[in-house]
Amino acid sequence: MGPIISLKNVYKSYGDKQVLKGINLDIYPGQVIGYIGPNGAGKSTTVKILCGLISDYEGEVFLKGINLKDDIIAAKSVIGYVPELAELYDVLTPAEFLGFMADLYNLDAAIAGERIIKMMSAFGLEGNIHQRMDTFSKGMKQKVLITSGLLHNPDIIILDEPLSGLDANSVIIIKELISKLSIEGKTIFYCSHMMDVVEKVSDRIVLIDDGVVVADGSFEELKQQQGNYSLEKIFSGLTAKNTVSNAAEQLMSAFD
Amino acid sequence: MNVINKFLLAVVLFPQSLYSRLGVNVLHLRSILTIKLVMDDRRPNTFQQMQRKKSEKPVASATLGTMVMSAVLGLVLLACFSVGKDYINHLTLHFSMYMILLSSILISDFTSVLIDVRDNYIILPKPVNDRTVVVARLLHILVHVCKLVLPMCLPGLVFMIFNTGIFGSLLYFILIGLITLFAIFLINALYILILRLTTPGGFQSVISYFQIFIAIVVYGGYQLGVRAIDSTALEDYDITTSRFIWILPSYWFAAAWNGLSTFNMQPSSIIAVALSLLTPFLSIWVVIKYFAPSFNQKLSLIAGSNAEAAPVQKGKKTISTTSAYASALARLFTKKGPEKMGFLFCWKMTARSKDFKMKVYPGVGYVLVYTIVMFLTSKKVSIASLQHNASQGKIVLLSIIYFSSFILLMAITQIAFSEKFKAAWIYFTTPIQSPGNLVRGALKAAMLKFYIPIIVLIAAPALYLMGLTVIPNLVLGLFNQLLICSLMGYVGPKYLPFSANQTIADKSGAFIRGLFTMAIPSAIALIHYFLYDYIWVVCIFAVLSITATWLVMDAIEKTSWGVVKTSYE
Repeated sequence: MGPIISLKNVYKSYGDKQVLKGINLDIYPGQVIGYIGPNGAGKSTTVKILCGLISDYEGEVFLKGINLKDDIIAAKSVIGYVPELAELYDVLTPAEFLGFMADLYNLDAAIAGERIIKMMSAFGLEGNIHQRMDTFSKGMKQKVLITSGLLHNPDIIILDEPLSGLDANSVIIIKELISKLSIEGKTIFYCSHMMDVVEKVSDRIVLIDDGVVVADGSFEELKQQQGNYSLEKIFSGLTAKNTVSNAAEQLMSAFD
Repeated sequence: MNVINKFLLAVVLFPQSLYSRLGVNVLHLRSILTIKLVMDDRRPNTFQQMQRKKSEKPVASATLGTMVMSAVLGLVLLACFSVGKDYINHLTLHFSMYMILLSSILISDFTSVLIDVRDNYIILPKPVNDRTVVVARLLHILVHVCKLVLPMCLPGLVFMIFNTGIFGSLLYFILIGLITLFAIFLINALYILILRLTTPGGFQSVISYFQIFIAIVVYGGYQLGVRAIDSTALEDYDITTSRFIWILPSYWFAAAWNGLSTFNMQPSSIIAVALSLLTPFLSIWVVIKYFAPSFNQKLSLIAGSNAEAAPVQKGKKTISTTSAYASALARLFTKKGPEKMGFLFCWKMTARSKDFKMKVYPGVGYVLVYTIVMFLTSKKVSIASLQHNASQGKIVLLSIIYFSSFILLMAITQIAFSEKFKAAWIYFTTPIQSPGNLVRGALKAAMLKFYIPIIVLIAAPALYLMGLTVIPNLVLGLFNQLLICSLMGYVGPKYLPFSANQTIADKSGAFIRGLFTMAIPSAIALIHYFLYDYIWVVCIFAVLSITATWLVMDAIEKTSWGVVKTSYE
């Protein structure tokens, strides 16, 4: 089976600052990709390219065999995107917001309505469907956003820090959901800073730093290459250039 | 969604086949517009943002509120028809006011309503084509502008029908439409200009200054408008005698109306007609051709600036930005330790908090406008009479002094509140012995910040116009202002600076505050009025006043934790 997401020599610059310096990635159906990297490494730029938010990149990107530059609309239809920071129109109710999302995905209103109720109930939000979201907690908004990303049953799901603000029980639900989705053959592109979660949920970890892929493989493979450490250790070993351990020492020495 | 939105939606969606031929997905277009209009209805509008009482009730049918307010503004604009001797004069003023009002309203709406940066995350990743998004945005702007413009020009239209007949009013309506296009161009140009001059971060604060500006202009317009109706001096005023009038675009439109409605085609009328037809279309063409492409990019910069961390400043050392002025004042007027900290904290917060500025600056503007209007419209008061007529100078001086104490009172009431009131944990987790020092420091900062400009604004003209003999009374008046404010700080509810939630503000303080803001300054002003001519008594009272202020301030310092109120639980 061919790759479902394929990036070939992707470059992107903002002005004279090059953010992506030749990303090559082939991702296969059913994989859960943990996409990690320090701040400013180019993670969110990659996500924006995959979602079709940025179009002036160099190189080629294919989603389910569709070149993004040829048919962005068809490509967008196969993605479910859950943005970070709980970006939603919070003066709307979940029913209105999700109904709107369904419209944009050309989903039949009756089917969408049924799905919305089922999914919101599964999250324990059935009583809040007709409440305005400006009173919602961050976790509740995040649940609505996750629902909006899954509503049209996409083949590729891009999650950008999806666990922020969720309580421990909801975290368990999302983790299980991710593994169930991948069994169904869905591809999950998981961006996060939480190494312990990435370590557990993803079956392939892609680490980028300064616009290039510096490590790529399962957690086991990474351990073989980099030594038998936690992902956190491997991450800082590859990206931090010795600053992490010194920083703590310097902090302590400030008291002297 | 209410009837108005439904109606406007149906109207703009009417040419469906045209849209589909343009490559627009009509179903998507309908859902985007529907959701946008529903959201407009639930968002506090420009007018409500200013005097947001923050009721817990969710905003509904804000559209209706917007339309009613626009209609009221339209009525205020009718006052222009009482200024000047003919329709050219009336309309020049009327169109100018209309243009200023509309631009200032739209300029804040553009960021808060019409261009929602969340669209980038919510709509753009969805399989919606670009044309649909662009058309949806344009139609949304159109609907929004209609909701403002139609009610606003309605009073003028009715007025024109009654006074100039159907043809005149039709011309008026068309010209208003052209002016609206021109106003949109002005806003775009202003946006580009502001973005050139400031950082994207500074942009937001420029916009909030615009909102403050609208509030003040509307208030000033109302004050002047009401008074202008019965002043005969303005009726004979003729602005058309000056050649420089051609600089004003609103004059072109007024002259065009005049030329067309009277069929009087002098060369100047023809030029005016040509200008008023060509400029709007030319400017819209400029907007589409040159501004629009960079516009979205620039706006995403505004949004992007929040997400990215502040860049490390290279080269120059990052020094504390406390101005020398503020630290000098702090050294002079506060004790070291918590009081100084409270002073500097409050000084910086009042300068940087958008919330504070939005609440206090319009009030400052109202007082200034009121004072100016009072002075301008009173027929008896003139600069000459102030110099020679002692009793008149007395009244004007005292009313200005005691009026301006409202500015201080507003400022010191507002320093208690903040949207980020939860950050007040810093007071409760740190070992502060007595909160009184902090409260006093903050109070001093808020008072001095507005007091010093007031002194300069009042003292300089007073000394110039009324001579040195005014000094004792001036000093007493200014000291009394301090006394009123510190009393207010003492008697009112005691909050730590920026620690209270405005939404659930303590109602118990409201009565005392009301009493102080109205009764106490008036009573003190009255006493001062009777003492005015007895120089020695005035001097003694000045000493008493400053001593009393001193004592009250001392008492505030003794505030204990027990009486401090807080929304922070």
